[in-house]
Amino acid sequence: MWQIIKSVLAAFFGVQKEARRREDFEKGRAAPFIIVGVLMAIVLVILVVLVATLAAG
Amino acid sequence: MRKRLLWTAGGFAFAGLSGLASADGWNMPVGVTDVSREIHSLHMIIFWICVVIGVVVFGAMFYSLFRYRRSQGAEASNFHEHTTVEVIWTVIPLLILVGMAVPATATLKSMYDTTEADLDVMVTGQQWRWRYEYLGEDVAFTSNLATSREQIAGEAAKGEDYLLEVDEPLVLPAGRKVRLLLTSDDVIHSWWVPDLAVKQDAVPGFVNENWVRINEPGIYRGQCAELCGRDHAFMPVVVQAVEPERFDAWLAQRKEAAAQEALGVDRDWSLEALMERGERVYGTICASCHQPDGSGSPPAFPALAGNQALLDERDRHIDTVVNGVSGTAMPAFRSTLNPVEIAAVITYERNAWGNDTGDAVQPSTIADEWLAD
Ligand SMILES: [Cu+2]
Repeated sequence: MWQIIKSVLAAFFGVQKEARRREDFEKGRAAPFIIVGVLMAIVLVILVVLVATLAAG
Repeated sequence: MRKRLLWTAGGFAFAGLSGLASADGWNMPVGVTDVSREIHSLHMIIFWICVVIGVVVFGAMFYSLFRYRRSQGAEASNFHEHTTVEVIWTVIPLLILVGMAVPATATLKSMYDTTEADLDVMVTGQQWRWRYEYLGEDVAFTSNLATSREQIAGEAAKGEDYLLEVDEPLVLPAGRKVRLLLTSDDVIHSWWVPDLAVKQDAVPGFVNENWVRINEPGIYRGQCAELCGRDHAFMPVVVQAVEPERFDAWLAQRKEAAAQEALGVDRDWSLEALMERGERVYGTICASCHQPDGSGSPPAFPALAGNQALLDERDRHIDTVVNGVSGTAMPAFRSTLNPVEIAAVITYERNAWGNDTGDAVQPSTIADEWLAD
């Protein structure tokens, strides 16, 4: 699980180690990555809204 | 020696850019509202961030090109990934973007806060003039280009405020919060005054909001910033900000004048008085399309001089001016002009340039028979 989260975070960030990527593609299944990706996209949106609200006082 | 040369060149470049950044006419103006100042400083901060990024990136590139050139035996290193470097070049732009977004969001929010205004002004774009209405004050007028046709045609020397002058500016009180409600009667216009940091579209069927609190009395000029047809360049914006006491006096005087004008509707006007008034209205409102000599620009804008249908059918003439002609460029003037102006301009059109009907259309006729509903 922690491995999936780390890989999704790396994808969000845009930087991933080649070895990790190969490992994910060989051993993992697609569904968990998609679900975690969608959830983290929602978290990102909430974060951005929070930052914007804070900045605007 | 070489190092000193480099420093000198760098110094000159910096001084040049600083000069450019503050030079009149090259940069956006600082403006005369708190918002315009905020926008200007944001613009400058982001400008300098871009300068620093440019210098660092291109500096590193040119340095590498020069220092590690092939003729000096440099060899390319071949590697596929370098996570640390990739993280660094992702994190730095992220931080810069967030750093710029924080002050920008704060400014945006204050720009959109149109609440608690002391005065509401409706701004309506029309081909090709602006109309201003002080809501709840019974004061409204159109603001027309005041630059002479001779200057535009190149037959006279251009004045200092060429194409940036109007017959009646929008008068606003300095120091008070003024809410602007922008809309249009025909096509999309855009009300733009750089010194007030306002550039807002005026869209038919929509009301956009903006606001200004002008810190310094003065005259601020702008233009329509959305291509809106043939005379797009001929509908400037002029805002005159005056001390609040002077504004109150001005508004009271305009209200009084409007009341006087309303009284004028009921009295009987002589042909001469109507002609004189009508000539002025024609010059500011009608002449841009139908030409000062009534010759029009057929087929879009029919001639009025010697127009037999117009001379024969008085009621149709009145109907055309009051209600416009749908599907053509002829707008309805029932809400733009008052009964006196409508009667006067119709009388003028029926008696000028060799038209000689002798008709004196009375303001009371217009008010009772054409505008009463
Ligand atoms: Cu326009």
